[in-house]
Amino acid sequence: MTSATMTLGRAINAGLRKAMEADERVILLGEDIGKLGGVYRITEGLQAEFGERRVMDTPLAESAILGTAVGLAYAGFRPVCEIQFDGFIYPAFDQIVSQVARLHSRTAGAVSVPLTIRVPFGGGIGAAEHHSDSPEAYFTHTSGLRVVSVSNPQDAYTVIQEAIASNDPVLFFEPKRRYHTKGDVELESSGQGRHAMDSARVVSEGTDVTLVTYGGLVQVAVAAAEVAKSEGVSIEVIDLRSLSPIDFDTVTRSVTKTGRLVITHEAAESGGLGAEIAAGITERCFYSLEHAPVRVTGFDIPFPPAKLEKHHLPDLDRLLDGIDRALDRPNSITGTVFA
Amino acid sequence: MTQLVQLLTADGVRPGTSELELAVADVDDRQLLALYEDMVAVRRIDTEATALQRQGELGLWPPLLGQEASQIGSARALAADDFVFGSYRENAVAYCRGVAGVDLLRVWRGTSQSGWDPFEHRMATPQIIIGAQTLHATGYALGLQNDGLDAVAVTYFGDGATSQGDVSEAMVFAATFRAPVVFFCQNNHWAISEPVALQSKDQLVHRAAGFGMPGVQVDGNDVLAVMAVTRQALERARRGDGPTFIEAITYRMGPHTTADDPTKYRDESELAEWRERDPISRLAAYLRSTGTLTDEAQAAVEATADRVAAELRAGLVAIADPDPMSLFAHVYSEPHRGLEEQRDRYSRYLAMFDAAAVRS
Amino acid sequence: MSIRQFALPDLGEGLTESEIVHWHVTEGDLVSLNQVIADVETAKAMVELPSPHAGRVTKLHVPEGTTVEVGQTIVSFDVSMDAPAEVEDGPEVAPPNLVGYGAVAESGRPARRERVLPAPEPVPISTHRRAAPPVRKLAAQLGVDLAAVHGSGEAGLITRADVEGARTAPAAVVTGEGTSLPVKGIRKLTAEAMVRSAFTAPHVTVFLTVDVTRTVELLDELRSSSAFREMRLTFLAAVAKACCSAIGRTPAINSRWDEGGDTITQVAHVGLGVAAATPRGLLVPVIPVADTLSLAPLAEAITTLARTAKAGETRPADLTGGTFTISNVGVFGVDAGTPIINDGEAAILAVGAVVRRPWEWQGEIALRHVVTLSLSFDHRVLDGEQGSRFLADVGGLLHNPASAFAL
Repeated sequence: MTSATMTLGRAINAGLRKAMEADERVILLGEDIGKLGGVYRITEGLQAEFGERRVMDTPLAESAILGTAVGLAYAGFRPVCEIQFDGFIYPAFDQIVSQVARLHSRTAGAVSVPLTIRVPFGGGIGAAEHHSDSPEAYFTHTSGLRVVSVSNPQDAYTVIQEAIASNDPVLFFEPKRRYHTKGDVELESSGQGRHAMDSARVVSEGTDVTLVTYGGLVQVAVAAAEVAKSEGVSIEVIDLRSLSPIDFDTVTRSVTKTGRLVITHEAAESGGLGAEIAAGITERCFYSLEHAPVRVTGFDIPFPPAKLEKHHLPDLDRLLDGIDRALDRPNSITGTVFA
Repeated sequence: MTQLVQLLTADGVRPGTSELELAVADVDDRQLLALYEDMVAVRRIDTEATALQRQGELGLWPPLLGQEASQIGSARALAADDFVFGSYRENAVAYCRGVAGVDLLRVWRGTSQSGWDPFEHRMATPQIIIGAQTLHATGYALGLQNDGLDAVAVTYFGDGATSQGDVSEAMVFAATFRAPVVFFCQNNHWAISEPVALQSKDQLVHRAAGFGMPGVQVDGNDVLAVMAVTRQALERARRGDGPTFIEAITYRMGPHTTADDPTKYRDESELAEWRERDPISRLAAYLRSTGTLTDEAQAAVEATADRVAAELRAGLVAIADPDPMSLFAHVYSEPHRGLEEQRDRYSRYLAMFDAAAVRS
Repeated sequence: MSIRQFALPDLGEGLTESEIVHWHVTEGDLVSLNQVIADVETAKAMVELPSPHAGRVTKLHVPEGTTVEVGQTIVSFDVSMDAPAEVEDGPEVAPPNLVGYGAVAESGRPARRERVLPAPEPVPISTHRRAAPPVRKLAAQLGVDLAAVHGSGEAGLITRADVEGARTAPAAVVTGEGTSLPVKGIRKLTAEAMVRSAFTAPHVTVFLTVDVTRTVELLDELRSSSAFREMRLTFLAAVAKACCSAIGRTPAINSRWDEGGDTITQVAHVGLGVAAATPRGLLVPVIPVADTLSLAPLAEAITTLARTAKAGETRPADLTGGTFTISNVGVFGVDAGTPIINDGEAAILAVGAVVRRPWEWQGEIALRHVVTLSLSFDHRVLDGEQGSRFLADVGGLLHNPASAFAL
């Protein structure tokens, strides 16, 4: 069993390399991914190793990156598209929703689109406009797409390979604020077997409240659980990993035990994944619920300027406040309608 | 092969024989000196802003080093009621439109998503989505047509932007409706790490004909030529003859932004070549040859640049952090119940910490 | 010396650390604003650091070759020899409020920010039976109608205990001797309070049988008047009014013995408890500031309390604040009793049935409306004279309501 300590960014790089070595039909497309190795260096060294036709610097056009990827899929390739930043995905939205998501269904299974779309997403990096979005809900709402998000180097390494190996189109959301987080990666795992991509992971066990999240907030959730423990509250933290479909089995098992659910994400509250999970768990765990599911999320606003992002993004204190609510303990909105 | 239009050579020599000279016949020495000062000042803003980013006062800065003539020359040709739709790099144009130095920096300071009121300066605030502004400019031009006004919409974008669908669509609309819009493309040769050859196998100016509008390719580092062709394009639009595509050949001497490292993808030798064609030194050479740029005049220009830089720095560090409740302001024009509930909840949440701070 | 510290900023959109590759200055050097002081390597690029101040370098905090976290102080300057053009930025010695602090690695133990929780606002009771889903399920399983359950949780929330206590058929266990019923909920709490009162306060009971015909006639008259037409005007209301008036003459009745043994607290207003028998047990809902109410509102309050109690909808707030209790034992058909004082009060008045008895009237024997009043009082708080005088006053008012004019 070989393992190494590496950053989340390096882990994706290593996973891409392994996937490209395993299958010569895997081909990367994106802006600045070749010579430069990507603005976050995620694809560093790959063009030198695999050549310009397997790691393609494309002209500046997201719609074309996705549209040509569809064509490449027809031609039997396995494209891995990089969208440089979350906020730049929208020109490609039409190709994704109208074509990528529907082709398999439209052609009664004749055409497959085994495409992976890598999207650095989320805030917490003090960036300019359009560089900190969380657009995952647009895609979990679109049938025909798989949507995943990783929170740590091991999952990054494993899940990128599984996503590439999948015959369905997969949106792979990378939390850019965690690109530099280090962790151990066991290097044997590959795209075969599909262990990580389809399931949620219980990060730490607990008995009083279930805290569900994904991507960059998993780390914050773990910190919240630590503080809660010192206050006598036992939190079970779950990293969803798969956003579409959601592993309701794991979450249901947990909430049946705890009776209380808090969901957190950076994306806006309305129509976000929290709403989907709250509804799904209420259906499955109604008679176990001691309190309505609580959501701690970004507000229904465009992502704010850098100096204000700490107010918008759920942080340790806001998570703990949400946990207090779920436990019927005094909290910021005690006594109001939402208590 | 399209002729590159030029009035000043890279060495600062002005042959004076081109027909294009007519378009700038009225530009006297005093005005040329003013153009020189403009370019020196905006280069200084760039330098200072880059330093401020390195000092942690700005999150990011996109320099326009090397592109001063393209922006100053064209911007100084505009009339007061023309309207500009630029990208995120048109800080020199904004400077000419009267935007204060500190207001150029607000977006990069992270205190707001825009630095000025577009209607005060008749220039839209920085656009980060590549090419989106070209459609806005075309639409604005349609509005001008509807109102029978003789103002013009001008849109700035780079070579990379010409690959985006929005830009092609904007040119289609503009040509179809003979809209009074000028498409000003600064071909600075690089889109982050991608050379222009990746975006186009032919000169960008040749697209114009394909879309059904005239195109002109100008030496973007020649402030006089840039002014001349821009004036011509504006006049065409005002006459009702529709859009023009200008390709200004220039070079991005600096990085894409302060987060970029160009040594990873381009050659120092290319930079050295383009240093020979610097827009500011060529105008300086010309003005010295006519006796306009005296030592005194040079000192005065540098003093202006120093003042601009100092004001910039002072203004920047004085920008107050935004109030947390401003998160919820201006998302809508009209009241929105859902958002108001969120605001109330967050306000109660913050009050807990304010109360603790007061107590302690 | 005016020292400014400079911390490593985030130089490129989310960096967490950088390496100081080379210092261009040493401690003691004079530097001008923007002069390059160091070469720094980030995950993305090699970058020159321009000096944020003009002044003298007083300390280089990290040696070359060190990797530094964003936000860590790397160099200090003495800026007191500022050139005139130097700008004063914000706080004096603390590092300036810098923008580029993106994805700083969270270091150290996580801790919660200090906060002051808001005072909980009283939440109005929901008109629906509020109960969490598991409690609803339990109620369904036990065959308990939530509409009849009193919620003891916050804002009337019905808890598991409430549901279990409300079971109309408590699980009776049949043994060889007979049947045992488990004691739960209200019955249990009431029993505990009664024991506390009965075995702590020395109870003395005094009795008065009185001719109340004139009050009965007065009530008849009032019932047909406009002020009382819409309500139920009972004899109990008259008793309540009489007690409130009499308390005015003997305020010690409205007192409390504090269990520490140090004080007797005399309460300003009368919280009049009216004992009610409900399916779940004895409840004593309270009419607050009853002494300020005239007969009509007093009568209405009594009627409302009785109705609510019977429906099982008495709110927890209604059961507190009592200072004196009336218990109508007459409805059970008895004349008198030795009532147990409500825990925390000093006296309780039991009112027997109003019956027609031969009584002395104007020198003759006549059938009159007669009632027996039984007053138990806490002999620690009240002496015999006080208790008796109070009872006599009540009786006097009921015997001759017109004497209220003289008060």
